[in-house]
Amino acid sequence: MSTAAADHLLDTRGIRTELGAFVVAAAFDRGGTAAFALGDGTVRLLAGDAWQSVAAHDGAALAFAADVLADGFLAGGDDGRLVRVARDGGVTEIAAFGMKWVEHVASFADGKTQLRACAVGRQVHLFDAAGARLKTLAHPSTVTGLVFDARGKRVVASHYNGTSLWFVASKSDNPRVLEWKGSHTAVAISPDGDAVVTAMQEKALHGWRLSDGQHMRMSGYPGKTQALSFTRSGKWLASSGAEAIVLWPFGGSGPTGKAPMELAGADGILCTTLACHPQHEAVAAGFSDGLVILADIGTQRILPVAGTGRGPVSALAWSADGTRLALGSETGFAAVVDFSRR
Amino acid sequence: MSDAAANTQVPVTVLTGYLGAGKTTLLNRILSERHGRKYAVVINEFGELGVDNDLVVDSDEEVFEMNNGCVCCTVRGDLIRIVGGLMKRRDKFDGIIVETTGLANPAPVAQTFFVDETVRERTRLDAIVTVVDAKHLPQRLTDSAEAAEQIGFADVIVLNKTDLVSPEELAEVERRIREVNPFATIHHAVRGNVPIGEVLDQGAFDLTRVLAHTPDFLTDDAHEHNEEVRSVSFEVSRPIDPEKFNAWIGALLAQQGQDLLRTKGILAYEGEDRRFAFQAVHMMADGDFVGPWRADEPRRSRLVFIGRNLNRPALRRGFEACQVAA
Repeated sequence: MSTAAADHLLDTRGIRTELGAFVVAAAFDRGGTAAFALGDGTVRLLAGDAWQSVAAHDGAALAFAADVLADGFLAGGDDGRLVRVARDGGVTEIAAFGMKWVEHVASFADGKTQLRACAVGRQVHLFDAAGARLKTLAHPSTVTGLVFDARGKRVVASHYNGTSLWFVASKSDNPRVLEWKGSHTAVAISPDGDAVVTAMQEKALHGWRLSDGQHMRMSGYPGKTQALSFTRSGKWLASSGAEAIVLWPFGGSGPTGKAPMELAGADGILCTTLACHPQHEAVAAGFSDGLVILADIGTQRILPVAGTGRGPVSALAWSADGTRLALGSETGFAAVVDFSRR
Repeated sequence: MSDAAANTQVPVTVLTGYLGAGKTTLLNRILSERHGRKYAVVINEFGELGVDNDLVVDSDEEVFEMNNGCVCCTVRGDLIRIVGGLMKRRDKFDGIIVETTGLANPAPVAQTFFVDETVRERTRLDAIVTVVDAKHLPQRLTDSAEAAEQIGFADVIVLNKTDLVSPEELAEVERRIREVNPFATIHHAVRGNVPIGEVLDQGAFDLTRVLAHTPDFLTDDAHEHNEEVRSVSFEVSRPIDPEKFNAWIGALLAQQGQDLLRTKGILAYEGEDRRFAFQAVHMMADGDFVGPWRADEPRRSRLVFIGRNLNRPALRRGFEACQVAA
């Protein structure tokens, strides 16, 4: 496919720019504003078609997510700070951890619960919407992935030799530890909260089914998996790290003993990141050559979003309503593409 | 690997040595020297003595065992994460220095550069630099296995605190070091006063230069069953058959990798105008072509082992049998 054809959506429905630094992550806040966190420590906010640069960290931004309040973001950096970046560009420090890196952030918000979380070394810190620290959860080794379940009841952290599940409202603070020897480097939890899956250093995924304690092993990746994303229905787990989008079936009896579905295969080009659509059974994926595509899982149809040549894709995020996709690359390319009906 | 790829890779220097040998003093000396280069420094003993640098990463040494059936294949997971994080601001520094804790075994650090693809793509292990205390090293070698391992692993040894010993004691310490590792470059120092050019950007893990200066030594074939860390080196003149070599070295590392700290070689493959550099840390092996043989250079293959329980005659016969038929 020519780059011109692959860029059709970007050309007709995209806002794009060169940001000049490694795009670490993209996110939409709960009000729908897009922003990008960069390796130069800035957060770039996109309002309409105007870009604003906000100095958030002295160093690199390492983690980025929507904040619990509608109009802003949570950012963690290698300057040891957890900050809130408001849509108007204001930066408020929530916590500072000295020399330690703030490597992961996560948030949860519904009608009655609002929780912010960050991982710093071996600890996960939970904060409320006012910025007060609720609790600190200790792990046996550095936390490598952090995620809330779909209801905000539990927070899940991956680390050496397994994962820890913490009930955030629990008084006792004893985690349920899911053990599997080795280095787990990312974590996801299924929408129904019954399956926890990690990426491992050995180019494989490991999963636990919480209801019966069963282990799941998913292997065969040529590269390391960095992105794990369940579809809205929870029937599929999409993963990066192969020369295609690798989708494991999580409906019915689970993935054990089954072959995964592979979409958008490309010889010698690894899928570097991906994000499942928040409403439909579809997944956006980025590759090491810069290509970004949208794959419909049911029909297996592939829609190109952005062509090759703009650096390995390092960030993808959907707006909550699923109408817009934010994408960014290691070499500083960034864009927001609008998929809404016209 | 192409030269272009090699040039974009960030050089990593690993600094090992016992507590009190003068690692942090050397580190601060390196960082305060006016060399116009910027280093990201990964430290583990923050607080012992402050490190004055813009980009200091405080890390817990987190070693894990790879699930690949190889008991000695241990890796520093924290380094994999830190290198990944630092690459997000690659334009802000020229090299990375990793300081290890005093008692650390250097193997997991070195093996990290073999095991993780992202680390391999984006960085290269420049040299393992071991700082030793001229006064206390003999005692350390007697009472701990780690001291000998840190010397065995080294590409560069900074023999520090030479002002605290007599010339005779210094000669004896150097002899003890050479007994373990005759291949490392040794620099004498007082309070870590080694020029930065002698420690950083050595390209020492790329072995061409090191092996070019391999000392001639030891021709006796006595097989010592020796728990001490020692070294042996061999040279052969007929070209090497790559298939035979891979079969032999693969089996050897699988069986004896735990005893072999470092294996390094420059090989003349049959029908190949480029030199092949082979290296291994315990069972983890790696190799690549490293540029052509010079026209005036004899195409002789050399192989060095540093480790325990080295069976010199068996290793020699094994290596010699990798040559093409005469």
